[in-house]
Amino acid sequence: MKLITRIALRLSLILLPLLALWAGLFYFTLVDEINDETDDALEDYAEGIIVRMLAGEPLPQPNSGSNNSYTITPVDAEYVSLRPRLDYYDAEVYIPEKRETEPARVLVMLFRDDGGAYYELRVATPTFEREDLLRTILGWIVLLYMLLLVTIVGVTLWVLHRSMRPLYELLRWLDRYTPGSRMRFVPTETAVTEFRRLHVAAQQAVNRSEEVFERQNQFIGNASHELQTPLAVLGGRMDWLLNHTELTEEQMGEVMQMKQTLNRLVRLNKTLLLLTKIENDQFPDCSEVDLVAMLRDEQALYDEVFATRRLQVRMELPGRFVVRMNESLASVLVTNLLRNAYRHTPEGGSICIRIEGRSLCVENDGDRPLDTKHLFDRFHRESSAEGSTGLGLALVHAVAERYALEVAYRYESGRHRFTVRWP
Amino acid sequence: MKILIVEDEPSLRELMTRTLVNEQHVVETASTYAEAESRLGSYAYDCVLLDIMLPDGNGLKLLESLKAQRRTERVIILSAKDALEDKVLGLELGADDYLPKPFHLMELSARIRSVARRGRDGQREFTWGNVSLDPEKRRVEVAGVELPLLRKEFDILAYFMQRPGYLVDKAVLAEAVWGDHVDQADNFQFVYAQMKNLRRKLSDAGATIEIRAVYGFGYKLLVPAARA
Repeated sequence: MKLITRIALRLSLILLPLLALWAGLFYFTLVDEINDETDDALEDYAEGIIVRMLAGEPLPQPNSGSNNSYTITPVDAEYVSLRPRLDYYDAEVYIPEKRETEPARVLVMLFRDDGGAYYELRVATPTFEREDLLRTILGWIVLLYMLLLVTIVGVTLWVLHRSMRPLYELLRWLDRYTPGSRMRFVPTETAVTEFRRLHVAAQQAVNRSEEVFERQNQFIGNASHELQTPLAVLGGRMDWLLNHTELTEEQMGEVMQMKQTLNRLVRLNKTLLLLTKIENDQFPDCSEVDLVAMLRDEQALYDEVFATRRLQVRMELPGRFVVRMNESLASVLVTNLLRNAYRHTPEGGSICIRIEGRSLCVENDGDRPLDTKHLFDRFHRESSAEGSTGLGLALVHAVAERYALEVAYRYESGRHRFTVRWP
Repeated sequence: MKILIVEDEPSLRELMTRTLVNEQHVVETASTYAEAESRLGSYAYDCVLLDIMLPDGNGLKLLESLKAQRRTERVIILSAKDALEDKVLGLELGADDYLPKPFHLMELSARIRSVARRGRDGQREFTWGNVSLDPEKRRVEVAGVELPLLRKEFDILAYFMQRPGYLVDKAVLAEAVWGDHVDQADNFQFVYAQMKNLRRKLSDAGATIEIRAVYGFGYKLLVPAARA
């Protein structure tokens, strides 16, 4: 889950009930206040009527503009003693003008005139206006509640997003980072202490891994260099045995076997050196290379070398396919892809070499899919084929990496397919 | 030829010395930069085999000073660092050839021979028995008559003409003629096929030299004793 999403979620979870509580409290206080006001108004109205009646003035018309209504009934003393002098309640009241009953607030008041007779005054005011008001208030509260929630969460997220920008930049940078590439410096435009510390830590980690990578590369390079001389000595001594001594066929066979093993070692060493050189970027010069011409040459060569396997090789090539890269590296790429195909196709199988758009595609028969996870690793070998160094595809990968080419492998209906795409 | 070997690794030095003495060269050795410098200061050589990574200095410096003195020694650089820059730099400084380690001893002899040949004007072709081969014009003559050869056949013959008497492993031959790419071939049928044609052409033309198979392992160019 993204940090921002998480914060938004938590914020909403906390704010939702809190704000709801606040809105509820506000609403009920308001309702209370409004009821109070209504009751006060009713009381004023009732007192007005009583004062008029006791003063002998004419009573107001039951419906003088307002929706208020009243009734005065004489009651006896016993009734008065049983009831409170002032009583409010809600009831359904018949309003003659409208000819229907409406919910209303009713005030019942007992009083005595100068003659000592008891009366009961019942005043009523319809509550639909109040209900309307409350409904409007409720609507607004809910709306404002939503608005407030959204605003708070929105603003928080925006502020967070702005403040976290250095973090996201660092993450993006880390995603793109691979040891040995030329992007050594972590971007550092930020004034926030925590982010600065994070950047420093990232920079230190990057420096460490660069150093380890460098040292590993140097080690392979040095080890390979140091091996050259002893290998030369060993080979030389075998040559001497073969050329300057009388050997029986058996002895000669043994020495030859030794030489072949030694040659493998030499080749392995050379390939490791080549890999190191590619990774250290020691092939800086670029030129326009026509891959079609290169492919045709290589194909002719491999057709001859692997003639006994009776492979069917199909080429679907355009007239030219020119790419800009180092010529030796282009040759490394093409050679290893082709050799791989020729080497691992079963006898009588077929190979197809195609250029489609800006992709080179090499397809060959195979009985089972290769392990895609380790396919391009050094010394990963699927078959124990004699003479295979297990470095061919690692070389392809290194060259592709160097020029940011896409290399893909797919296994489909009994065929391996390697595709290299130029951007 | 008088040759100076500048190489710090004793075993390799001894081996190269033995091989070159065996080929009737006069060989002297130096194991350090200082020693090489003093030898070159006192004596003249036909050819210097120069290892560029010496314990007390860079061989390229020695080459530089040789060229600055306009010395006529032919220089072949031997380097464990199979680095293009070294090669380019060395050749720019005036080295005659560059041989990356590890190398075959017969390769070394062949390079010395061809460098020496380059020194003598006008004599580019190799001649053994009644066969002569001109690597630049890609022309082969047997007893004065041109022998037409296919490209690979010519390359094979050229390879052997530069290494007479040496046993050449078929894998090494394949790599030399077909390129590095053949290293994973599962058999050497393609070498046999070319070789068969070449040998037939040579014998049909009446050549006095012969490329002979040595058991199943490789081939050797046999030259009539009189000329060798």
